[in-house]
Amino acid sequence: MHHSKFIEALGAMPLTSATVDGGRWVIGLEGDKSVTIKQNSHVELLVHCSAHRQMLRLNVERDAELRIVHVVTMAECKSNIDITLAERAHVSMTQVVLSSAEAKVVANLVEPHARFELGGAFILKGEERGVVSADVKHMSADCSSRTTYKGVASDNARGKFTGLVYVAQDAQRTDSEQLSRNVTIGQARIETLPQLEIYADDVKCSHGATVGQMDEQAILYMRQRGLSFADAKRLQIEGFVKDIVLHAAIEECADKLSDLLQEKL
Amino acid sequence: MLKVENLHASVGDKEILKGINLEVKAGEVHAIMGPNGSGKSTFASVLAGNEKFTVTEGKVEYLGEDLLNLSIEERSRKGLFLGFQYPVEIPGVTMANFMKIAVNEHRKYRGEEPLTAAQYLKLMREKSAIVELDSKLTSRAVNEGFSGGEKKKNEIFQMAMLEPKLAILDETDSGLDIDALRIVATGVTRLKTKENATVVITHYQRLLDYIVPDYVHVLYKGRIIYSGDKSLALKLEKEGYDWLINDYKEE
Amino acid sequence: MENETKNIINELEQSDYKYGFVTDIETEIIPKGLSEDIIRLISAKKGEPEWMLERRLKAYRHWLTLKHPNWAHLDIPEIDFQDVIYYAAPKPKKQLSSMDEVDPELKRTFDKLGIPLEEQMALAGVAVDAVMDSVSVKTTFRDTLAEKGIIFCSISEAIKEHPELIKKYLGSVVPYTDNFYAALNAAVFSDGSFCYIPKGVRCPMELSTYFRINAEGTGQFERTLIVADEGSYVSYLEGCTAPRRDENQLHAAVVEIVVEKDADVKYSTVQNWYPGDKDGKGGIYNFVTKRGLCKEGAHLSWTQVETGSAITWKYPSCVLLGDNASGEFYSVAMTNNYQQADTGTKMIHIGRNTRSRIVSKGISAGRSQNAYRGLVKVARDADNARNYSQCDSLLIGDRCGAHTFPVVDCSNPSAVLEHEATTSKISEEQLFYCNQRGLSTEDAVGLIVNGYAREVLQQLPMEFAVEAQKLLAISLEGSVG
Repeated sequence: MHHSKFIEALGAMPLTSATVDGGRWVIGLEGDKSVTIKQNSHVELLVHCSAHRQMLRLNVERDAELRIVHVVTMAECKSNIDITLAERAHVSMTQVVLSSAEAKVVANLVEPHARFELGGAFILKGEERGVVSADVKHMSADCSSRTTYKGVASDNARGKFTGLVYVAQDAQRTDSEQLSRNVTIGQARIETLPQLEIYADDVKCSHGATVGQMDEQAILYMRQRGLSFADAKRLQIEGFVKDIVLHAAIEECADKLSDLLQEKL
Repeated sequence: MLKVENLHASVGDKEILKGINLEVKAGEVHAIMGPNGSGKSTFASVLAGNEKFTVTEGKVEYLGEDLLNLSIEERSRKGLFLGFQYPVEIPGVTMANFMKIAVNEHRKYRGEEPLTAAQYLKLMREKSAIVELDSKLTSRAVNEGFSGGEKKKNEIFQMAMLEPKLAILDETDSGLDIDALRIVATGVTRLKTKENATVVITHYQRLLDYIVPDYVHVLYKGRIIYSGDKSLALKLEKEGYDWLINDYKEE
Repeated sequence: MENETKNIINELEQSDYKYGFVTDIETEIIPKGLSEDIIRLISAKKGEPEWMLERRLKAYRHWLTLKHPNWAHLDIPEIDFQDVIYYAAPKPKKQLSSMDEVDPELKRTFDKLGIPLEEQMALAGVAVDAVMDSVSVKTTFRDTLAEKGIIFCSISEAIKEHPELIKKYLGSVVPYTDNFYAALNAAVFSDGSFCYIPKGVRCPMELSTYFRINAEGTGQFERTLIVADEGSYVSYLEGCTAPRRDENQLHAAVVEIVVEKDADVKYSTVQNWYPGDKDGKGGIYNFVTKRGLCKEGAHLSWTQVETGSAITWKYPSCVLLGDNASGEFYSVAMTNNYQQADTGTKMIHIGRNTRSRIVSKGISAGRSQNAYRGLVKVARDADNARNYSQCDSLLIGDRCGAHTFPVVDCSNPSAVLEHEATTSKISEEQLFYCNQRGLSTEDAVGLIVNGYAREVLQQLPMEFAVEAQKLLAISLEGSVG
């Protein structure tokens, strides 16, 4: 599988222990797993699915930095990643869903000054059905979060994004942004539910959602220069989701992710 | 009119004003200068009653009354005006409506009838001319989308509307080009009478070319360390604050 | 069995009659609870034709199969539907002999709202001839409307006088199968308004503004039907800015609007029902279904200012069925103390080139919970559908909640849909600035809130916009300090 080569190239080792304090690791998800990222450590995790149902619990201790790249290419899988961030923990995550799958991310910011960033994209075509969700729970004051999820569905595909920003009472000075941007092509259907649930007053929370179409002018322009419709379309979609991949949580993954997208398109 | 004695104030645990003494009489213009972070804006905020700061010691007498016992709006209605360094934006609330309520609150306090719409419009036209404020601005939301210069002109326009006894202008000159500066300063000068007083807080001498002060004070580390006449401002412009600060350190 | 029931009803009816059941006081003793008998009784009391009764019964039987919905972000105490009196004819109000007897708190609110004394008296239930005289004004009014062929009457009257219109349109937008409360309303609705604007007619006045006083007391299960025929226009205003001290806890109204080809309807609501006291005791439960059906080129605009009720559950919606139809929803929902609101809209794009716009401004204070819930749905054939939604929340105090639950569901690739939401609070700097210019904190908060809600308030007919502004300020009382 191309996956393993990719991982080898990145020099990641399979993760077997339940605690880590540094390094780059790969986890093939099967069943239930829990991993603790030790205090002050810097850890990178490549996550891919190797079973149809998985649950990964990540416990990120104080001052730890965790970078995650999660790729879902396996059809009909259900993945669940639940992250708990302690004081000043910083988690940056990239998720790419390229198959009929359910992918759920939950981030619990339980102590002050934790930071969570998620960049996600799903690309679905044919008869695929993708359901992704991102719940960010601000349980403590002074935390920040950023979620950007982009969705593309073409042909008869159906995509659904559910996002929640929850701000508990007393989670003052929460700074949170959530953005869901989507493109539908052909007979596809996209549903987006960006939700805010806020119980504290001194917060900066915003969310936005768009569902749009490809820029026909640009497509025409490209075709006028000799590109096929398919290529023009592909270029547009690539352009649309590119920033998610370019800013991959693990920089070295950007090229590989971009290859995966190309393949899918 | 204003008598400040040994004023101490802090925000949280941090003491910012450490014993200020100042007396301002009717008809006078005072300038307060000083390097960044010396407590100039805090001093202005405390006089206006900003609850962010706690007065820990000292007293302030204003028109024979204990100023510190009054709420922010009571101070305003008794003629204390603060021109803000950073005027805040209030979305959706038009300038005209905002000022109408303010003017009528002031009138009510003085036992006067509220202005009719026609009287109010007339007053607004007169006063906005003083600072060459584009009349269109009064139908826009308070400070929203105003340029830096417009915001400052707008402060002086409001001062003209409310005709304060004591105006404290906090860095009214910052961020102004030379034309705007001239307009704002001329506006302030035109509003000057024998009965009112002005305290100008500024970094630069250039404003004082237009608004000529009777006294210049230097605020440093929460205290007024030196006072003089208008020549002091010129000296500061030329020589900076170092000579004063050095003196102060030696003390 | 059937016969037996009928006999009982007949007997009941006759005895009603015999004992003067029609007087207000007697209506009080209609038994609590809901059953087919009660529905027959309601229908009979209203002198309805058989077909109407059949409709009610059908709805009731359907309602029996439904469960109380619980998906909203609301904490609704369990309601015992057998503990409700369903025949809620206008409640007999204690007649007061002068304004001095009126609850001073109520009086204070009237004054703040600037309601003329005559109306104050009527609203507070003071017997006064002056207001009764306005009936004559109302009559001239009706003449003007009749000249244009506009029908504006109570729904009970319409059932009798315009059965063909009622048969055609009642339940055509909100069928009894729609939801729990729509079914309940279809079974037991007490009264409401009916309005028909004929083809090409532009209604010359804001409907119902004049009937503000009369609209009072229409009961707990209100039913409104507005039909704007091809190319017509009407602006309709529901509600009243004055506080309503209604003892009925449960209100479940249904409003249906049919907007035929190229017609234009503007529906404005100001809702200020009793929200309960400072500790969250009492208050109205307001569970409303409002929907409009827009045919080709039709336009429907909903504007609502919601400050009352203990619990509000309400989503005025637009079904954009015809090509080029457009819908708008402008809302200010304010909650204070222990109030809960779950409100928003649905924009269903079915026709081509359909457009919708949503502007929602939530304000939560005290310990209240305020949620926006919305759906923008674009069906497969709704080419070039456009929606823009903006949902802002303002929090006042740190014990309240503000929530946003939008759903955007798009099945057409040429649709462009945008949703934006922000959450903010009144900043200390804004308050300080206003205080420094001489405004009290209460006035400053009122001003800032009105500024925040301005985009919506601007949509209201002039005279109500002013009252609504005052209302917002009053509803905020005690939330800062």
